[in-house]
Amino acid sequence: MTQLAGAPGTTPAPPAPAVRRREKAPLSLSGILIKIIALSVLNAIGVYALFVLFVAGSWLVFGLGVATLLVLDWIYLSRRALPAKYLAPGVFFLVIFQIFVVVYTGYIAFTNYGDGHNSTKDDAINAIVAKSLVRVEDSPAYQLTVVQQLGTFSFLVTDPDGEVSLGGEGRPLEEVDSDGTSLDGYETLSFNDILNNQEAISAISVPLTDNPSDGALRTPDGTSAFLYESTLLYDEASDSFTDQATGTVYSDAGNGEFASAEGEALTPGWTITVGFDNFVRAVTDESIRGPLLGVVLWTFAFAFLSVATTFALGLFLAIVFNDSRMRGRKVYRVLAILPYAFPSFLSALVWAGLLNPQFGFVNNVLLGGADVPWLTDPTLAKISILFVNLWLGFPYMFLVCTGALQAIPDDVIEAARVDGARNWGIFRLIKLPLLMVSLAPLLISSFAFNFNNFNLIYMLTAGGPRDISAGVNVGATDILITLVYKVAFGAVAGRDYGLASAFAIIIFIVVATVSIIGYRRTRVLEDIN
Amino acid sequence: MSTPTVVRKRKPTLAKWFRATGWRHLVGIAVVIFAAFPLLYVLSSSLNPNGTLVGSNDLFATVDFENYIALFQRPQQPYAAWFLNTLLIGGISALCTVFLGALAAYAFSRMRFTGRRVGLLTLLLVQMFPQLLAVVAIFLLLNGISDIFPAIGLDTQIGLILVYLGGALGVNTYLMYGFFNTVPASIDEAAKIDGAGHARIFFTIILRLVAPILAVVGLLSFIGTTSEFVIASIVLTDPAKQTLAVGLFQFVSDETSKNWSLFAAGAVMAAIPVMALFLFLQKYIVSGLTAGSVK
Amino acid sequence: MTVNIRNLIRAGAIASVAALALAGCSGGGDDTADSENTLVVWVDANRAEAIKDVVSDFESENDVTVTLVQKEFGDTLREDFIKQAPTGKGPDVVVGAHDWLGSWVQNGVVAPLTVDNAGDFEEVATQAMSYEGQQYGLPVSIENVALIRNTDLDPSAHDTFDEMIAAGQGIVSAGQAEFPFIVQLGPTADPYHLYPIQTSFGAPVFGTNADGSYNPDDLQLANAGGDEFAAKLAEWGSTGVLNINVDGDIAIETFVDKKTPYIITGPWNLERIKEAGINYSIEGVPSAGGEPSTPFVGVQGFFVSAKSNNALLANKFVVSYLGTEEVQTAIFEAGKRAPALKSAFEAAQSDPDVAAFGEVGAAGVPQPSIPAMGQVWGDWGATEAALISGTAGDTTAAWQAMAASITAKIAG
Repeated sequence: MTQLAGAPGTTPAPPAPAVRRREKAPLSLSGILIKIIALSVLNAIGVYALFVLFVAGSWLVFGLGVATLLVLDWIYLSRRALPAKYLAPGVFFLVIFQIFVVVYTGYIAFTNYGDGHNSTKDDAINAIVAKSLVRVEDSPAYQLTVVQQLGTFSFLVTDPDGEVSLGGEGRPLEEVDSDGTSLDGYETLSFNDILNNQEAISAISVPLTDNPSDGALRTPDGTSAFLYESTLLYDEASDSFTDQATGTVYSDAGNGEFASAEGEALTPGWTITVGFDNFVRAVTDESIRGPLLGVVLWTFAFAFLSVATTFALGLFLAIVFNDSRMRGRKVYRVLAILPYAFPSFLSALVWAGLLNPQFGFVNNVLLGGADVPWLTDPTLAKISILFVNLWLGFPYMFLVCTGALQAIPDDVIEAARVDGARNWGIFRLIKLPLLMVSLAPLLISSFAFNFNNFNLIYMLTAGGPRDISAGVNVGATDILITLVYKVAFGAVAGRDYGLASAFAIIIFIVVATVSIIGYRRTRVLEDIN
Repeated sequence: MSTPTVVRKRKPTLAKWFRATGWRHLVGIAVVIFAAFPLLYVLSSSLNPNGTLVGSNDLFATVDFENYIALFQRPQQPYAAWFLNTLLIGGISALCTVFLGALAAYAFSRMRFTGRRVGLLTLLLVQMFPQLLAVVAIFLLLNGISDIFPAIGLDTQIGLILVYLGGALGVNTYLMYGFFNTVPASIDEAAKIDGAGHARIFFTIILRLVAPILAVVGLLSFIGTTSEFVIASIVLTDPAKQTLAVGLFQFVSDETSKNWSLFAAGAVMAAIPVMALFLFLQKYIVSGLTAGSVK
Repeated sequence: MTVNIRNLIRAGAIASVAALALAGCSGGGDDTADSENTLVVWVDANRAEAIKDVVSDFESENDVTVTLVQKEFGDTLREDFIKQAPTGKGPDVVVGAHDWLGSWVQNGVVAPLTVDNAGDFEEVATQAMSYEGQQYGLPVSIENVALIRNTDLDPSAHDTFDEMIAAGQGIVSAGQAEFPFIVQLGPTADPYHLYPIQTSFGAPVFGTNADGSYNPDDLQLANAGGDEFAAKLAEWGSTGVLNINVDGDIAIETFVDKKTPYIITGPWNLERIKEAGINYSIEGVPSAGGEPSTPFVGVQGFFVSAKSNNALLANKFVVSYLGTEEVQTAIFEAGKRAPALKSAFEAAQSDPDVAAFGEVGAAGVPQPSIPAMGQVWGDWGATEAALISGTAGDTTAAWQAMAASITAKIAG
């Protein structure tokens, strides 16, 4: 192997005969054994998982689990379904972790999920109830002992004057004869017992008197109790809150929040489905429509130029370093992928510093104290972004091109050389078309990646520089995805994931269409071999 | 004037050398400067106990390894554990990614079945979906898994690896698929005639022939997982389980107490495994195995 | 729909499990092992170290387990908490800044906190931890920016900003420094650090209601003082007093390298200044517009999740354990931010730096925590940056356009 590494191109090929010899060896049982073992492990885990789900009573998931396991078994036991045998493992993970994200985003696009609407209605009701409990002003703190009788919890409280009383849920306080730590006929709970019943005990509210407006005792920590009064009362029957002071009624307005007749809403609200509202808002949103054309053009230009520049440099370097006569190629190759080995957010920060007009290395040292506004001039900022992206991205292209170059058989090139082709001709007519077979889809996906390259833009310029006279929060280097981020997450009500998802789906449709067109053209390339 | 003969003699050799490989060294040096100079900052800052990242243009004004030592002396931020975790998670993810991807690429390259082109296209399209909500979705998913199987749910490294394997099919599959296509079908045919089954052909013949691309994909996947930050930071919460990307970020994420020089030292060391792996894999990437077997 | 999505999630869960070879096997057995009474606390690394002792006391005294999860103190923590709390898998207790409170309450993820001894805390701290009349957090630290002066370069304090700048320019022309004054800005400026200067022109962000809370409908940014401030920004930008090329790193580096006599910064940078061996004095930012300069005061503290399954335990931990002088002092030692508990605050006054920052902070105002504040930062910073860099055109027009844009956004 070391010999090969030293001079790959020139070494004759010893492995081939070895491979041939092995093919002729008689068929062994080991393959079948491995298959049996793998399948039994798979089934053992599957059945175990199904059992757990059965006990948990998650029937839908249980059903899906049974179906998945049966399909997997069929695939590997059947004599047909050959492609599925190879595709199933990867597809399995793809479906769970990637398709799920897509489906989830699709679902969110039809909801109002976001700040202020981030959970269920029950959570919202609980939060409003908790929020409306106000400690009665100047009321004392009671020392609390939680006691129980026949499974019912009661509060044994001592007020600051040393008076001891007992009460429970719906049972107003009554004075009792006790030292405050225990009571005849009742069992005193230890702190650990209290912790084991936290939810029940923290839900108990003990009326101070028969008059509910006097407030009720609750405990926040299990060892002390305070007097609270509720400013908002929830009525389950009418599904509404009533303000105790003003009498205003807040009812379920059907848009995921409780609102008064005047339209005043209580926070938090909850998540509901809203149909196509988000899509309608996405296409009619004023703040995005004005700058849209410019942003779309720049997004396409940015994505296309990023792919073109990184690919050109990566391919060029791969070819340059692919000459077996060149010494020290190993070192050059390793150093060339340096930008790829560092965390990219760190690199973006370093570049932002390097390009600082006054203190940065580029202006200060390389350009001898020039004052070039690399990141604050609209045009220069675009160029800087493309340049930094070239720096970040060329090692990737270099790596894949280096790998792909190995796929070109030397004899094809030798033959061309014998036919009198020059270097450039060999490259253009033979190497490049062959490379494109494997690399074209990669270039398309690199295009798509840069189309949504949120991180680079955000860390380098955050979309800026911004023209403040425009009145919209859009800068010269904003691409579609950063614009969406600003619109959907910078809205008045905070982050609006529903709107963001609708945008994501619209963007996806655009990129996918462009990509499918590109992909169709690779069909021609594919059959070249 | 006694030298002209020497000059005349050497000149053609030098020119020839330059045309053959010399210019390549010029390109190489230029690329190394281009690739490395921004990172000299990181290195310089890592050697300066009080340094900011880019505050100063005096590179290497101080050389002091204090930061490198300090990295291993912070119980709240166990750098050594992060390092090992990263190697483990990155390594396993890369191996599994290569395996899953190669399986799929083999099917796409060698078999003709209904839905093949649609399948290939779908792989491409799934990668393009804007991942604005990926973090929320993956958190909820792992949260659901945690309820039933805590061992592979939130705050488990296995759970994180599983999430990474969701991306095993995708761009990498394409890269391998293209490479598989360049391995002549005649090799499969010959093996088939010799009585080898599809699994045998795949594992003992094809995989060897495509070693360069397996190495490339392995490296890409390793780099991808080791530098991934967002999902890892959601899934892993216990400091002892975290990866380098998540851990290192803690040094600089607090708006008011950034520790750039410590962070830089950590990042420099974090780059070492990647470089080492590339150095190790290079011989496979450029091994020329394909050329030999095709003949 | 909620049911459907939950099932979908479960479906994903089981499907992934089915394929997972040994992992599933080894993991399946121990899912009942973990204890009922485990308190999960999200805390930043700095404070995690500081509360370690009290956590172990709490664990042994109550026979419970506390898991400290280290999170980076910042927007990620705030957002993660909003996303994770509703699932019930979030933390029971979380560290946070008071200006996140608005969005946390809006999302219903924090529970009100009953602090019986609220009077033992600095009033500004308790006030900051309250929202719509309810207290939600237990305050632990108070912070604000102030002017730090290199006393070797300039031994005397100044009454007005202009005097100070003149003195700074004198020091620069004498060749003792390179910059007359420094404050961190960056490409989108830094309204937080500039706020003491802005308020000295009598232009706060919001007006206040009768009870002292901020009124989002009363934007004060663009009053007459605001216009004056805008004009001054442009002037200082052109004379090099303010410079958007200076970011946080460069600012502090410049100061510790003795290249400038004055910097506006907070207690978080004190350690570097001390390490550099600089003789300094901490004082209020001299008034530029004639009125008092009031910095934003930020308060940090601990909150209990609204969805905590351990509400009683969480409350006990936060109120009875984190509210002690010992813990407040430990957190102060770790981060040098003034403690919120009065007794600890007074004890910390023996540290002259804390006393000085505290005195400046006493004149400050809490940074608004109302959600409307989220609409202010973007336009505010961008406009300040444009004014300073001289690209804004007419200063009054630019400033008024900013205010109009913010008002429109708040109104929806």
